[in-house]
Amino acid sequence: MHMTKRISYYWLCQFVGWSAFILAYIFFYISLRTRETPYFYHVLLVDACVGFLVTHIMRFFILRLKFVDKPVNEQVFYIFFISILFALIYATLGSTMEQVLHIEAERQKTLALFNKIMRASMGCFTFILIWNLIYFAYHYILKTRQAQLDKIRLESLVKDLQLKTIKSHINPHFIFNALNSIRALIDENPNRARNAITELSNILRSSMQAEKVETVPFEKELGIVKDYLALEYIRFEERLKIEYQIDEDTLDQPVPPMMLQTLVENAIKHGIGKQISGGVVKVISDFKEDFHELVVQNTGYLNGHINGDGFGLFSTKNRLQLLFGERANFEIKQVGSDLVEARILIPVEIK
Amino acid sequence: MIKAIIIDDERLARSELRKLLMDFPEIEVVAEASNAGEGVEKIENINPDLIFLDIQMPGKTGFDMLSELDKAPLVIFTTAYDEYALKAFEVNALDYLLKPVEPKRLADAIQKLHLQEEREQGPMVPVNFNRSILSENDQVFVKDGERCWFVKLSDIRLFESVGNYAKVYFGPNKPLILKSLNALEERLDEKTFFRANRKHIVNLRLIDKIEPYFNGGLLLELKGGEKIEVSRRQTVKFKEMMSL
Repeated sequence: MHMTKRISYYWLCQFVGWSAFILAYIFFYISLRTRETPYFYHVLLVDACVGFLVTHIMRFFILRLKFVDKPVNEQVFYIFFISILFALIYATLGSTMEQVLHIEAERQKTLALFNKIMRASMGCFTFILIWNLIYFAYHYILKTRQAQLDKIRLESLVKDLQLKTIKSHINPHFIFNALNSIRALIDENPNRARNAITELSNILRSSMQAEKVETVPFEKELGIVKDYLALEYIRFEERLKIEYQIDEDTLDQPVPPMMLQTLVENAIKHGIGKQISGGVVKVISDFKEDFHELVVQNTGYLNGHINGDGFGLFSTKNRLQLLFGERANFEIKQVGSDLVEARILIPVEIK
Repeated sequence: MIKAIIIDDERLARSELRKLLMDFPEIEVVAEASNAGEGVEKIENINPDLIFLDIQMPGKTGFDMLSELDKAPLVIFTTAYDEYALKAFEVNALDYLLKPVEPKRLADAIQKLHLQEEREQGPMVPVNFNRSILSENDQVFVKDGERCWFVKLSDIRLFESVGNYAKVYFGPNKPLILKSLNALEERLDEKTFFRANRKHIVNLRLIDKIEPYFNGGLLLELKGGEKIEVSRRQTVKFKEMMSL
């Protein structure tokens, strides 16, 4: 479809262009002539037809040799080269036709054919050059627009892919450990085991759904985090202390799905999991100026692990900025002698 | 009766494994430990035949814990999911269980243990009169970067001193362990392992050729092709031992 449209554009331009050529000559001939030129219309028609034919052949060569795909600075050279070449062909064909058809102007009849061709080729060069400039300019614009389109398409593809890889990040180590704890609980505390299965299925379900949506209300994400920490509590028991400090007004703020969950998971994996005596995980959500602030604090030390999990940290910031713009931010730092803090800032949209 | 210790940081995981092991009366769980430090302590005190060992633990990993031991007991690893750890196993064909543990898989692992017991004809871990000396049937756990091995002392040709480390030669491998040659010499059985010079301890059973060397010394060629010089002082001792 794209192709047929381009071809018809070409034919349209050829017809319109050469018709304009004829009309312009007739206009100037009628309005400016001092005396009649014999065979003027014949010559004009022959020139237009030959021009049409020659440029069409020239286009065949341009397409065949793929001049349009060459770098722009090389294209300039090719434009001049083929313009000169085809101007000579145009002049030769035109002059020969005129001579054969006996429609030449009186003063030209006396000249040799070579002389006639040389004289005609100057004018022909102008037309061929204009034709080429239009042709190449059109293709240049078309190509740039295509390149821009490709770039945008690529960017959105990369964005999609990035979101997918980040979102589908639920740690299998966690899942199997949770299942193992639940199996032990079945005998020890059947009620707790039943709840644990519900919590685990909530987490699995939302990690699957996370790939389908860009943001969820914070309340939903908090629910997942609570389920997650409840499960980790089964594993760590008294080694894990959980604290929440949630501003109720933040509950309907949009947040990227599974992002807070990933931070809490890291707090467990790199923080509590590394401490023999365990520690605290604290989740804070509130408003700071015109930002929605999400904080995860955990007992532990930052040294070293910031690189080990570098991809996660970098992609978290990237994902935030893709969704909420440049003002969104993410950072992780040591805030006390044994306290690590991860902080997300999401600009609040004023409705 | 096989004496076993379960080492895992999660109480529920330990109790689950204990429950599964009730189907195997020949295995007696004599102790539990919840981290590497506690594990080392209990292994040294109780001297178990077998340990069930979790890899991911707070403080030190199961691998780190093993490489701290002078002598590794038989080990069955338990892990939830750990690609990195599984890669280490592939190289060594150690046995491991994935949590939650499948009873059939556990039965297979224990069956394998019995097979090993038969192959060694007799008690699984030879009784040492002097517990601080390692016999050549004892195995050590060697960890070098990402790779881990259980090596029987009888397979080790040579210990070479490299600064604070010792390079251990066995098969095509020569990983480093953080132990001084002097400390090693104290624990090794001198009937098998001989201090050839300041820098080398060789396994007498894996010597290929013996040639005279300068100053009345000797040059030993080991089965792996390594050439080790025996110092003049040690040559006297070496000749005494070999003439016995």
